[in-house]
Amino acid sequence: MTDTQRPPDAPEEDIDFEALDASEGMAVEPITQWKLFRSRLGRHRLALWSAGVLGFIVFVTIFADFIPGLGDPSAELRDEDGGALNLLAPRGAHPFGTDNIARDVLARVVYGGRASLTVAGVTGLMVMVLGTTVGAIAGYYGGWIDNALMRFVDLVLSLPLLPVAIVAAAFLREAFEGREALALAFLLGSLTWGTLARIVRAEFLSLREKEFVEAAKAAGAKDRRIIFRHILPNAMSPIIVNATLVVGVAIIIEAALSFLGFGVVPPTPAWGQMAADGGRAAVSSGAWWLVVFPSGALIITVLAVNFLGDGLRDALDPTQTIERK
Amino acid sequence: MFNYIVRRLVYGVITLLALSIIVFWLLQNTGGGPLDRLKANPRITKETVAAITEFYGLDQPAIQQYFTWLSKYVTGDWGVSFQAPTPVRDLVFDRLGGTLRLMMTALGIAVLIGIPLGIYQALKQYTFLDQAATTFSFVTFSTPIFVLGISLQIVFAVYLERWTGVKFFFNAGMNSANYSDLGFLARLGDTVQHLFLPAISIALISIAAYSRYQRASMLEVLHSDYLRTAKAKGLSRRSVIVKHALRNALIPIITLISLDVATVLGGAVITETIFGWPGIGRLYITAIGQNDYPIVMAVVMAIGIMVVVMNLLADIAYGFLDPRVRYD
Repeated sequence: MTDTQRPPDAPEEDIDFEALDASEGMAVEPITQWKLFRSRLGRHRLALWSAGVLGFIVFVTIFADFIPGLGDPSAELRDEDGGALNLLAPRGAHPFGTDNIARDVLARVVYGGRASLTVAGVTGLMVMVLGTTVGAIAGYYGGWIDNALMRFVDLVLSLPLLPVAIVAAAFLREAFEGREALALAFLLGSLTWGTLARIVRAEFLSLREKEFVEAAKAAGAKDRRIIFRHILPNAMSPIIVNATLVVGVAIIIEAALSFLGFGVVPPTPAWGQMAADGGRAAVSSGAWWLVVFPSGALIITVLAVNFLGDGLRDALDPTQTIERK
Repeated sequence: MFNYIVRRLVYGVITLLALSIIVFWLLQNTGGGPLDRLKANPRITKETVAAITEFYGLDQPAIQQYFTWLSKYVTGDWGVSFQAPTPVRDLVFDRLGGTLRLMMTALGIAVLIGIPLGIYQALKQYTFLDQAATTFSFVTFSTPIFVLGISLQIVFAVYLERWTGVKFFFNAGMNSANYSDLGFLARLGDTVQHLFLPAISIALISIAAYSRYQRASMLEVLHSDYLRTAKAKGLSRRSVIVKHALRNALIPIITLISLDVATVLGGAVITETIFGWPGIGRLYITAIGQNDYPIVMAVVMAIGIMVVVMNLLADIAYGFLDPRVRYD
């Protein structure tokens, strides 16, 4: 799937031959990390598709209010005689059907993306900032700083995610009155950054002993510059992979908490909560569309996030060559 | 080495203390108390409620309640359930066996399938099987465990029986009611029939995680300089892969598996709920619903202890496998 006609290390479109000629071969436009990244990601077709799908999903959920024909997700639909249109099978005006209290499932799936994507995005950001900072400081400085930080990470990691999340969800729901999605993101973020911190620390531990860091130190570079310019770019690949995994995991855990009744509170729709409630309703009523569409949206989103993460790993890690078949 | 283990055990105890404080604090600060149902009952007088409150020490300040709980917990007195006069320790140990059976089976399946799969994928990168396994991993990893569990139930317990007329798997409980009357082989069969679906639904997610990490770690080693050296000096492919690549590529997965214990125990909460499995996960959910603090605390501590011990074992194993790691 990553096969192309070009050898991987020769992105010739990045070299401006005219400028090259004009300066009689003296000035060669450098192949920057960013260019290398773009050309590598460009070869990962599945990742590009996933980025497109994700972009589409994010766009649709943000601009849900402007989609023609998309109804109110909490409106209970009635026919001309005032009878409730509940549990309509998918067809015509309601391509995803209606639920047991006559709400349009398509509208709820689209608006449900808001809660799920907020939880996921904010969690991912939180984990990336917290995990990278703590891991980098611990791994780079070592000694008692490392020891103190890693004991704290051990503590966070040994908090069993779901059991603690269940107890904390009820507490945070009261603290973040009316903003359950943010509460969940805050909760999941503060429980899941430990893994990344450990990974980043391990990367820094081995990278700080490398010759290029020694060279940078010998050249008089300050700690900050060494951390951000020399070590961090080399540790970026596991950071990206882990952050993407966390985004996916956040959506999944939101779903798990919702299944147990500790997630986003109805009537605000969220995919996990819809899939869980729909799953129960589907068992009794046979209304498969109540579970298939929300869990489908959820699975497709998480899949796209994970595929993108994989593509980014290939593109960001300069030590890994993409082999041709 | 000995000093290292002692120090890690001390850290482990501190971690468990912190865990107990966090959960105790969260329980104290969330609406709803353990005696809500008693208070709502019109036939129980205020005096009775007050007496019960005093009996359980619920009228004392939170900090004092915590230290009372802690001093009893360390001596093995885990308190009494608010719902029934049963010692919590008996309740938890009664259910722990069920959870361990489920967890060990799931982890065993995941290790036996996930790790070889990841190694194979790395060796045959971008072949059809690699792509297929990657797709499988991604789809499994992207599916909530309750969707997996319910799907497995519907397909392998409900429809498989409907199509074939034979009961292959049960979708609820740990053993059949007539278990004690069965012979040895029938008992084994009955256990497997009950264990299979919940264990697989947990294992599938771990298989996806292990194979993915193992593939990445193997690929990293395969692209390393010392492996090129090993190839260049003319070692056989088998020797290069088994002696040079595999030994180093297996190290990162140990950390992952030890961390996965927490995930699996968390997943058990959901799986046990779906499959009616009598384990500590279901006990936990029930106890939270009833604000039965002693049970919640005991289960959280049991899970915390397992996680701390697994992490310690993983770190010790790490040192044996990778001589570059020093304990200091």
